[in-house]
Amino acid sequence: MRTSQNRPQHYELIRRIIYVGIALAVILSYFIDYRQKFTPSPESKKVFDKVESLSPGDHLLISIDYDPSSEAELYPMCLSLLRHCFKKGVIPVVMTPWPGSVGIAKKGCDEAAEDANSMFGKKVVSGKDYAFLGFRPGATNLILKMVDNLKGAFDKDYYGQPTQGMEALAGVNSLKDIKLLVDLAAMGTVEWWIAYGADRADIPMATGTTAVMTPDLYPFYQSNQLIGFLGGLRGAADYEKLLEIPGRGERGMLAQSATHVLIILLILGANIHMFAGRFGRKNEGLS
Amino acid sequence: MIFKRTIPLLIVFGIGVLGFMQYYVPHPWSTAFRDEMTTWGMVIGGFATFLGIYSLSHMHATRILRQVPGWGYSIFVFIGAIGMIAVGIYSDIFGPLASGTKHEVDPFDWGYDNILIPCSATVFSILAFYMASAAFRTFRARNLAAGLLLAAAIIVMFGRVPISESVSDWLFNDRMVIPNLSKAIMDYPNLAAKRGIMLGIALGVISQSMRILLGIERSYMGGGD
Repeated sequence: MRTSQNRPQHYELIRRIIYVGIALAVILSYFIDYRQKFTPSPESKKVFDKVESLSPGDHLLISIDYDPSSEAELYPMCLSLLRHCFKKGVIPVVMTPWPGSVGIAKKGCDEAAEDANSMFGKKVVSGKDYAFLGFRPGATNLILKMVDNLKGAFDKDYYGQPTQGMEALAGVNSLKDIKLLVDLAAMGTVEWWIAYGADRADIPMATGTTAVMTPDLYPFYQSNQLIGFLGGLRGAADYEKLLEIPGRGERGMLAQSATHVLIILLILGANIHMFAGRFGRKNEGLS
Repeated sequence: MIFKRTIPLLIVFGIGVLGFMQYYVPHPWSTAFRDEMTTWGMVIGGFATFLGIYSLSHMHATRILRQVPGWGYSIFVFIGAIGMIAVGIYSDIFGPLASGTKHEVDPFDWGYDNILIPCSATVFSILAFYMASAAFRTFRARNLAAGLLLAAAIIVMFGRVPISESVSDWLFNDRMVIPNLSKAIMDYPNLAAKRGIMLGIALGVISQSMRILLGIERSYMGGGD
């Protein structure tokens, strides 16, 4: 068996060259201030259009189902969604069923609230213009509880304010009163929210996931269980473009283009090398 | 035997059947039962955190005590955990060390934003290097099936990034040829394969659930039978 100890030396060298190449492609792309032109995907546009169709005072629930390791792909989506809500006067209700995600959810709320002030001249306040409910354990049980009694599942928000009588949650008793559910996920929670949340409460649902999870969403999208989805950093970039507020998603597109092209070139190079080797051996055999 | 096997099996059967039935019975008693059960589920879920803390601490304490190779890293688990718990209690405005007002620079948030987020993101981003190296070594057109997989991978990988639109425009005078090809692969072959896999998993979950409810599958009780 070939191990790292007895692997041919040129393999190690090639591996290091690949690592350096990827690092350079990513790092140098961030120093080049060039915005690539691209058309947002229909899936991303449907999410944007749905949020755009909501009226001021409507509620949009965002479940933060990712931890800091997936921050690069999903945080820009969270920020854009919250900015869009604040721009339109839609009330976002943010929560997480993961203890490690509370900080990143709070960071998103705080940053978007500051942006609302600087970008749209709106002073948004927790408990009035948005609700940050924080973390509760229970996973699927939490979702089922929210379908019956949202304020029972979250009796207080992250800051300790009681949810009963909270201005931001006026008219919201259960998940059925939410106009759009968005799950930002790096874990297998999309199916939980579809089966136990959106389908049972009969509300529309969209999602934003890491790129590797995106292929799993197509069956739900085709069956209209998802109205649309944001797939990976490209999904975040699509939303930023539609919202006309550039951010980290659009900024990362050049790095993503460079690395994808580099990987494709590496694959093609490896295949050319393989076929050249076969051809050479064949010729040696003939002579 | 009754306490170890029969009663647990009856509890599983009873709660399982009631949990299943409440989907189809809209009676207020059924709704109240579901409400009660979900509350219980949330409380039990909370206790899983303590179980996780115990398991993690036990594993790393054992590594330190036995000084197994790499035991030094386990010390950082305790430094990180105890450090974050301490600043978390200190920072909590409702906690036992609370001053009653929110700290201007919350030490817990500072640690989360400046240590946890960069460290987690760094570890996860290393994946890009491994993926590039693995793609280089494994995507070889050794036969027709491997060649098709390779072609699909290249089209999807290229079609997902903005540069594909510029290249399509230059090659075909239409910005969307390559992105649309990528989309077609995701919309049809990918969708069909994913749906088949999902249906297979769902049927497996249903059959396994039935085996547990009917007491055929008992490995969750321990003992391996």
